[in-house]
Amino acid sequence: MAVGLKKKGTTGAARNYITRTRAVKKLQISLPDFRRLCIFKGIYPREPRKKKKVTKGSTAATTFYYTKDIQYLLHEPLLGKFREHKAVAKKIARALGRGEAGDAARLEKHLIPKIKLDHIIKERYPTFVDALRDLDDALSMLFLFATLPSSEYVPAKTISICQKLCHEFEHYVITTHSLRKSFLSIKGIYYQATIQGQDIMWLVPYRFVQRSGGDIDFRIMGTFVEFYTTLLGFVNYRLYTTIGLVYPPKFNAKMDEQGGELSAFQLEGRSVIANGDATHNDDAPRAVNPDAQVIADKIAAQADTEEEEETIPAAVQSANEEEGTEGIDKFEVTAPDADVLPQPEASSAEVASLFAPFTFYLSRETPRTPLEFILKAFGSKRVGWDGTLGDGAFVTSESDPSITHQIVDRPTLSNGADASDAPASTNDGAAPKVQWPRSTMPGRTYVQPQWVWDCINQGKLLRPDLYAPGAELPPHLSPWVKAKKGEYDPTLSLQEQEADGEAAAFEDEEDMEDVSEVEAAKEDNGVDALLDRESSVEAGEGMDVDDSDDDEENESDEAEAAAAGEDWDGIDSDAESDISEGEAARLQHQRELEAEATGKPLEPEVGTTKSKNAAIRKKAEKKRREEEEERARQKMMLSNKKRKLLKRIEYGENKRDTEAEALRHKKRKLEKVKKAGN
Amino acid sequence: MGPNPRKRKVVTRAAPEASDSGDELADGLLDGILSHSEDDSDQSQVEDDDSDASSVIEGLSDGDEEDEEDEEDESGFESEDGEQDIREQMRKLKTTDDPSKRTISLDNGADATADGELDEQDDSAKPNYTVTTDANGNPRYIYKEIDPVYDSDDSDAADVANTIGNIDLSYYDEYPHIGYDINGKRIMRPAKGDALDALLDSIDIPKGWTGLTDPATGKPLNLSAEELDVLKRVTRNEHLEDGYDPYPEMVHYFSGVKEIMPLSAAPEPKRRFVPSKHEAKRVMKIVKAIREGRIQPYKPPEEREEQDEQVHYDVWADEKPRSDNSMHLAAPKLPPPGYDASYHPPPEYLPDKDEEKAWLEADEEDREKEYLPRNHDALRKVPGYERFVKERFERSLDLYLAPRVRRNKLNIDPESLLPKLPNPEDLKPFPTTCAAIFRGQEGRVRSVSFDPRGIFVASGGDDGYVRIWEILTGRQVWNVKLSDEEAVDSVKWRPDAETSILAAAAGEDVYMIVPFTILSPDVEQASRDILDAGWGYAASKPSTTTNGETKEPPGKWSRPGSRLESKGVLVQTTVRSNVKTIHWHRKGDYFATVSPRGQSTAVAIHTLSKHLTQLPFRRLKGIAQTAQFHPSKAIFFVATKNSIRSYDLAKQELVKILQPGAKWISSIDVHPGGDNIIVGTYDKRLLWHDLDLSTKPYKTLRFHTAAIRAVRFHQGGLPLFADASDDGSMQIFHGKVVGDMMENATIVPLKVLKGHKVKSRLGVMDVDWHPREPWCVSAGADGTCRMWN
Repeated sequence: MAVGLKKKGTTGAARNYITRTRAVKKLQISLPDFRRLCIFKGIYPREPRKKKKVTKGSTAATTFYYTKDIQYLLHEPLLGKFREHKAVAKKIARALGRGEAGDAARLEKHLIPKIKLDHIIKERYPTFVDALRDLDDALSMLFLFATLPSSEYVPAKTISICQKLCHEFEHYVITTHSLRKSFLSIKGIYYQATIQGQDIMWLVPYRFVQRSGGDIDFRIMGTFVEFYTTLLGFVNYRLYTTIGLVYPPKFNAKMDEQGGELSAFQLEGRSVIANGDATHNDDAPRAVNPDAQVIADKIAAQADTEEEEETIPAAVQSANEEEGTEGIDKFEVTAPDADVLPQPEASSAEVASLFAPFTFYLSRETPRTPLEFILKAFGSKRVGWDGTLGDGAFVTSESDPSITHQIVDRPTLSNGADASDAPASTNDGAAPKVQWPRSTMPGRTYVQPQWVWDCINQGKLLRPDLYAPGAELPPHLSPWVKAKKGEYDPTLSLQEQEADGEAAAFEDEEDMEDVSEVEAAKEDNGVDALLDRESSVEAGEGMDVDDSDDDEENESDEAEAAAAGEDWDGIDSDAESDISEGEAARLQHQRELEAEATGKPLEPEVGTTKSKNAAIRKKAEKKRREEEEERARQKMMLSNKKRKLLKRIEYGENKRDTEAEALRHKKRKLEKVKKAGN
Repeated sequence: MGPNPRKRKVVTRAAPEASDSGDELADGLLDGILSHSEDDSDQSQVEDDDSDASSVIEGLSDGDEEDEEDEEDESGFESEDGEQDIREQMRKLKTTDDPSKRTISLDNGADATADGELDEQDDSAKPNYTVTTDANGNPRYIYKEIDPVYDSDDSDAADVANTIGNIDLSYYDEYPHIGYDINGKRIMRPAKGDALDALLDSIDIPKGWTGLTDPATGKPLNLSAEELDVLKRVTRNEHLEDGYDPYPEMVHYFSGVKEIMPLSAAPEPKRRFVPSKHEAKRVMKIVKAIREGRIQPYKPPEEREEQDEQVHYDVWADEKPRSDNSMHLAAPKLPPPGYDASYHPPPEYLPDKDEEKAWLEADEEDREKEYLPRNHDALRKVPGYERFVKERFERSLDLYLAPRVRRNKLNIDPESLLPKLPNPEDLKPFPTTCAAIFRGQEGRVRSVSFDPRGIFVASGGDDGYVRIWEILTGRQVWNVKLSDEEAVDSVKWRPDAETSILAAAAGEDVYMIVPFTILSPDVEQASRDILDAGWGYAASKPSTTTNGETKEPPGKWSRPGSRLESKGVLVQTTVRSNVKTIHWHRKGDYFATVSPRGQSTAVAIHTLSKHLTQLPFRRLKGIAQTAQFHPSKAIFFVATKNSIRSYDLAKQELVKILQPGAKWISSIDVHPGGDNIIVGTYDKRLLWHDLDLSTKPYKTLRFHTAAIRAVRFHQGGLPLFADASDDGSMQIFHGKVVGDMMENATIVPLKVLKGHKVKSRLGVMDVDWHPREPWCVSAGADGTCRMWN
């Protein structure tokens, strides 16, 4: 071979990537082991930039790994463990084959290598912030596994570890008040906490039995869980130690059995330990009487709350008095084209004071776990609940006078029931037990659970009457959506965001529809009556049905109208409209002249809404068309490359616009229905 | 011993000297046999003393023959005589002392005879041997007796039985000898055949004679009596040894009989009944250790719970950030939920029935969202999410199976991509809206033309009518039906404001029309004068023919008949094939017609004043599409299907060929300045050619989605041009040509005029500009003309 000639496929992309099969062969492990290794080490396939070079022309679909990743794997201590495990597995299989169950058990007990992932945690997350950044999936996964029933693939031990770790993490969030947002979605409850500047969002399922059938491989999930438990353990350790707490916190198994959940954990300050060290120099530093410790902690906690109770109103007052001095002022953008600079969201002090002055009582039917977590994370120290919901409540009696807010999720009873159930409350004895919904305590606020979520998302206490039991709740909005330009924003009114002439066009359309609707109404009178009755019977859900029916009608009418529109809105529309406009102007001028001639003051022309609408619509349409033409003209001069780029951008924009428009259209229709209802 | 017989002879040439010099008995015997056979055949040679080499060879070959002969007459009585001869010669051989001694050099026998005398003088110097003559007269070397001193080393050599090695004996069949001895002398073959038989007869059969030859030595194989005996036994299937007993009596080495008395009668030793002291010592040691607590009694290991609790410590005690150059890509986070994921979303986010149905019917992978927004009016009514575990699982799969690629998000403001064009207001005036629609034609309108004064528009279409419209009112003021079956393909006003003559092409005919009803009398008169000037010109000056034959003229000029004449159609010119385009010279005296079908007669130039038609091209490459006069020079442009040629009419030569690179040119137009051409093509392109720059287009504009049918520059000084396309639209461009040579033309798209409907895939057929104003008129396939301003 001539000097300087290089053989193909010996450098560059062809060498930097390796197929999965080759990787497995190189590591000399089985595919499942390779999978586990990849999950533990966080090695993922790559997409080579020059795929043809890598595949050497073959077009078969293959996954590629970075060769260096695999090279590093060769030195992984876990590989050795896997091999050991394989050897032991062989021995066990042999023992079982010989019918030596005892031997097999002994081998399994003593020889199965224990896999430790500590070094991998450090390797994958060189800094703590890296670990926090990657905590989203870990938390979601562990919170899911904490609620799963134990099964063949999911041992009970794993589940208990998951539960423990999750509760420990929640405790940290509560103590540091780092929860920022939460959202009730149809999937579950989203939480977002900000820890050391990192936004961590996780999803917790509602407490139902999860459907886990189908093609779900729990071995893969199990591998992830194994890694995540290790990760969260170390993260919790670091989090606890940074705020001066001892990790792991004391775990009260008995309380946990009684449904204590969060309250089964007892956080300890590190100072206590330090004192212990100082006093007891012998080898049992932890030999503190646990009961005494519990009591001491309780006292300490109470002192804390009392302190805070005292201090917080003062703080609030001061904040009210001189708002400008301490916090960050909110900069409002005055012009729409200016850049928006991000400002830090609520500080932990604000978060901690949101629910601090209140005592909450959770009714039996409310989801206790998320409410307890959120309320505590937002400053409330006193959360009580019905005894049936588990241990650890601040108060279990609903009639406790210290309760300021009661969270209920039950429909109101009609008046008749109230009277009949009254004796039941008197039966209980001395303390007159008043219970929702039969009667209400004076001075207590009754709200639905959504109130809590909306309050924390908006960072302020909302009017509780909007969330009163039985009231129709305002829509629950995701706190993460920031409406961009051109997107539909449900928090704003329609007028603020619609395009010019859109409403007018809609109204015109509706007018067209009205005619047809009236006809339709005549025809479908019977059906309508039926629907009406339905809606009166069941106020809640019947409406939906009704609405959607209307929607459909409207939709079809609309289609007709559109079709009709195309007919008459043909090619001549432009010219005609122009002509008619000119005509109108001429008439107006004529009228003015006449008025001048006769000396009468000109009466301002009172157009009908329809003509006005038409005028607005025409104007808007004209403007839009002009803009379009201008744009088309500019596009003509673009190079092919740029035109394609622009097309791609415009595709996204158009999609967004059509979505927004569809939403606005729906909203407008709903508003109209509402108006008609009024 | 090569395969070549001649060679073999050459090699054997010297053989007699060597063989004959043997002084051993066996050799001598063999020599005798040889010589005997020679003698048998050739009596004379026995007496012949001086036999040279050649004679020896002769003799040898004869001897061979003789052997065969001998075998033939085996039973002859000659054998007796022969035997006697042998004996005689043997005797002679032994006692030979030939008086005639001759010395022969060792090297060459042939030379030896010649140089015999010379060698004799050196004889004294070589006392090693003496040369004598043997019985056959050959020289014979007799070596001196070797003194067997220690060094002489001759005694140790065993007598070599086989000197030829592992060579088959058959190779020596033809020779009298087998191999050579240490002295290089032939070892003669043992005697056989008749001579041998005779010899043997005289001798007793030796003991053990088998009559076989040992293949290794070629000597007779002798077997001893024992060996013969063994052979005999083997052949008889007998035991080889005498006295071998095949069935000896069995000897019982182990008996099944039990001994009655034990072998040892020693009593059990005492130690078997006494406890071991050593063991007692060991036990005591253990007991002592237990008592002292050094050995703990065994306790079964506690059923300790799997308490392999993870030991936690601060992994990130000494954290170092990841190196910048690492290829690590963190997994992307899941997007936060939107409004529609809420358990109680705003009502406008809920799907209506159609959307819901579409979602349910769609395949799981095709769904844009994996969930359907639902409204629950209270938190207690929210059900569990069915796909929760599955979604989590899919996320896990994504984390370890999905390739991660860093992609740059497209974050470009689309406005920044669009070029800043001059404000259309600055480029005004140009036509923007449809000012009037001229309706009333049936079928397509194929051609339109503005009258040079800018008052009328003429149009011609499929219905065979030529119509004239008034611009201001949009009214049809005049029409004539030129043809019943042919469409009017082209109408063009003569470019002269003083007169008003319209040229219209229908089929093969070109008509000159003076629509006098709408003209003022003086204009009408002027127009008529121009048309009538040519009558009789052709007759007075008949086409000069070279050989007297009257060639059929390319165009016939005639009066169209009274019906048409009464309408104002005054002249009819008939060419040989269908005329598609007409183009006037700027002065109005000439006009060119193009009929793409007529190959050599495709382009014709007509002179109005002489009523003369000429065919400028004898042969034209490609199909002519359109032709045009240069606005100021005597240059004529002809567009064929994919090129444009310009000819100098004065010099009658080709000036330039433009290659627009188009597949099919539909129309061209020359800029009033004369240096730029726009070309419209059926392959949707509009090309701007700068004649000064290159033969390739200066700009290629592709804004239409269908073929371009017509292109036209504004002729009245406004920098505008327009094209008409089959997609039903016209595009107006600003095309400014600066006199400065350094600056290229600026082309700015201005306006897309839409309005014509596309009928059977034809949109706008033709376009023309007003002579002064920024107005244009278009002819559509939908049967209308539109005026734009």
